Amino acid sequence: MNTVNNQKNAGFSGYFPTWCPGCGNFGIWAALKTAFTNLSFTPENFAVIFGIGCSGNMNDFLWADSFHALHGRAIPNAVGVKIANHKLPVVAIVGDGDCYGEGGNHLMHAARGNHDITVIVHDNRVYGLTTGQVAPTALKGFKAKSTPSGIIEVPLNPIALAITQGATFVAQGFSGDINHLVGLIEKGIKHKGFSLVNVFQPCVTFNSENSYAWYREKIYKLGEDYDSSDINNALAKSMEAETKIPLGVIYETDRSTYTDSLPQITQKSLLESLAPNLEIIAKLMDEFV
Amino acid sequence: MTDVTVKIGGEAGFGIMTTGLLMGKIATRSGYHVFEYPEYPSLIRGGHNVVDIRISDEKVYSQKQKVDVLVCLNEETLKLHKDEIKIGGMIVIDNDKTDKSIIEKIPQNVTLVPLPFGQILKDNALPNVMLNNIALGALVYLLGADFEILKTLISENFARKGEDITSKNITASQYGYDYMKDKYSAGYNKKIPKMEKAESRMYITGNEMIGLGAIAAGCKFYCAYPMTPSSVLLHYLAAKGEKVGMVVKHAEDEIAVINMALGASWAGVRSMVGTSGGGFALMVEAVSLAGITETPIVVVMGQRPGPATGMPTWTEQGDLLFVLHSGHGEFPKIILAPGDMEESYKLTLEAFNLADKYQTPVFIMGDKYLQEGHESVDRSSISSYQFSIDRGKLLTQEQLDKITDYKRYLITDDGISPRAIPGMRNSLHQANSYEHREDGHTTEEAFERKVQVDKRNKKTATFLSSDAKLPKFYGDADAQLTLISWGSMKGPILEAMKEKEGKFNLLHFSYIWPLPKVKLTEILASLKNTLLVENNSTGQLGQLISMVTGIGIKNKLLKYDGRPIYPEEIIKEVDKLL
Ligand SMILES: Cc1ncc(C[n+]2csc(CCOP(=O)(O)OP(=O)(O)O)c2C)c(N)n1
Ligand code: SF4
Ligand SMILES: [Mg+2]
Repeated sequence: MNTVNNQKNAGFSGYFPTWCPGCGNFGIWAALKTAFTNLSFTPENFAVIFGIGCSGNMNDFLWADSFHALHGRAIPNAVGVKIANHKLPVVAIVGDGDCYGEGGNHLMHAARGNHDITVIVHDNRVYGLTTGQVAPTALKGFKAKSTPSGIIEVPLNPIALAITQGATFVAQGFSGDINHLVGLIEKGIKHKGFSLVNVFQPCVTFNSENSYAWYREKIYKLGEDYDSSDINNALAKSMEAETKIPLGVIYETDRSTYTDSLPQITQKSLLESLAPNLEIIAKLMDEFV
Repeated sequence: MTDVTVKIGGEAGFGIMTTGLLMGKIATRSGYHVFEYPEYPSLIRGGHNVVDIRISDEKVYSQKQKVDVLVCLNEETLKLHKDEIKIGGMIVIDNDKTDKSIIEKIPQNVTLVPLPFGQILKDNALPNVMLNNIALGALVYLLGADFEILKTLISENFARKGEDITSKNITASQYGYDYMKDKYSAGYNKKIPKMEKAESRMYITGNEMIGLGAIAAGCKFYCAYPMTPSSVLLHYLAAKGEKVGMVVKHAEDEIAVINMALGASWAGVRSMVGTSGGGFALMVEAVSLAGITETPIVVVMGQRPGPATGMPTWTEQGDLLFVLHSGHGEFPKIILAPGDMEESYKLTLEAFNLADKYQTPVFIMGDKYLQEGHESVDRSSISSYQFSIDRGKLLTQEQLDKITDYKRYLITDDGISPRAIPGMRNSLHQANSYEHREDGHTTEEAFERKVQVDKRNKKTATFLSSDAKLPKFYGDADAQLTLISWGSMKGPILEAMKEKEGKFNLLHFSYIWPLPKVKLTEILASLKNTLLVENNSTGQLGQLISMVTGIGIKNKLLKYDGRPIYPEEIIKEVDKLL
């Protein structure tokens, strides 16, 4: 493996990716590095939690303090990191199978809790790493190795799900439009609270249906006039037919974050207050006498 | 010597547990040693709840089968427990509300003490929930205990609910007390008056002891999903979290629980999770993640009878081998099993040090018996316990600044690598769930793989040479028979030993894994005769011992009906072998 040294993203580039040539993950990778650079991050002043999948394999391609999790469990790891050190920005990089299938429960609850983490979902509508089975976002009827006669279920709607479960920032991007995606990732990270960025990511090897061309035909960018603070607007957008796919910040609102609501860490983070208070312990013992 | 066992029973929802707690506290504050064990079904209302409180002027290690005073808050209690009364014992019951045919079956040598709860409530316009206060007042009188202590306790207990509620509760107990004074002024023939000099003791459960231990260890993140018998640990820490600066999270499921804790631990904060068998089953994949990422974590595994939902509120030691083998793949694990309240505190402190030192999962094996039972414990034995917090090879920023080319999974002689946390300078690293090289990057190379497996396994060898503890002997070294047991069954065995002094000794394991093979084999080979005592059906410690040493334990006392082993049952078995 050889290391790439892209001047613009110096510091974040790890090994050269082993993704298939043309894979949408390249675009997300580039957008992430640019966003981190624009945010003046260094590889050591934030934390990245990777899921398991082709998406999660970015762990070796992106230089940053990171935790490569179990399949489906990156979100709870990220929540734990944030609670331990809420001054550290925390980003989770996950697959659609990872986040909407195996770990679906965690997504709902992290949204409800408004945990201040940013979740970037590589939505390729398939399981890439396990060689092409349907993901929860696969379109109805999609034929894949595990559903040779076409998938019976309708696709999960990540945007509607996140909005209705209490996410305070929900955006949708396309790996074929890196510049636009950079903006969404930056906004997501800057947003205080739970942010989800669902990124359409063509899998050129196992999903010939939802290709770059397929997306380009359907996507459109939300205009200046779109009011992302209105939940009804946002829900209506999230329910638009698959023939027209909106990109941009679909919903954004303000609600106090999980760690903001914890009086024990208003002054210092848990990490900054590790020593036990022996005086209090003596008092606690007295309570049992 | 005073040794009184009181049993209080009634319908779930009528404050039986609170009554037990208050009675135990009265005795503790009066200077006695107390042991309490509650039994209740997995129901909120309508089931049968019962609590056993044993009170003595000598140290007591467990409950006993025979009861001195049985307080029946309903008819059911009498039906179920009348045969447990000692000769000369007493039964307190509301005659008006009890079928005559049952009362007639009470043995002749037992005193029946009618207490018209219903009438008293009615006459004084008291609500039904005050029933237990009347019983408590009556009991205090019969045992010659100090009513003032009861009044103080009620005031403390209801302080938050206001003066009105407090005084109503006190009045209700006064009615019970006065009724007995009037009708049975002699009371019971064993009494527990307040001692002149009462040693300061805590009346506490294993859950609370583990909680105190975690707080003292500087654990700042506790994550759990409610599950008996570990829920009380969650409740205790949640109640104290703000005060002690700990974040306590009730997460969406046990998979989230342990993964959140691993995230927090990776970020540098001491973290603990608590659960029971079913919840732990969900955590197992992440135990393996802790193993390969070398992330410290303390897991409180409160056992109860399985499989599946089993008998949720009862006790068993059925998960030892499950925990030992939990997590796919091969990686080191440390298992501790406290035998009593003091060990619950001390081993919790130890668990955090070991987790940090070995950067691997450490288990505290408890069970319903240990975690939900109350015991009086000398406060000084806990508060004067000297310990220090050892975070092992966790690097400071200063140390990191001196390192060039930091490697998270550096090969070392002891298998333990210096640990950095995210956000530090000069520490760029990844904790990797995949097999990795020294620098943390994913690898599938044969050589790198083997080197990392060997490195992780080496931690077991390091533990065995520097931290492993042999099982502890209790009792006469020359005894003809040695009982072998682990965890919570220590108490009933020590209690049995009181009666059979010199006849047997106990080899008790609270450091369960890893086991030092050579020394353990020597010890076992030197024993004359052995009896394995476990609260499960397959003798799991016995299996583990023979796996390590090749030595089998011939005689076995195994109990797996959801109830703890009683000292009387141990004596019976011992008598057969002597
Ligand atoms: C508990 C568990 N189940 C199954 C797997 C196997 N597995 C690895 S990645 C994956 C799916 C990957 O799909 P997705 O999350 O969409 O990521 P992608 O590869 O498409 O980026 C599966 C099923 C696993 N690693 N762990
Ligand atoms: S399989 Fe699909 S998702 Fe995975 S690297 Fe190849 S193109 Fe990308
Ligand atoms: Mg996918």
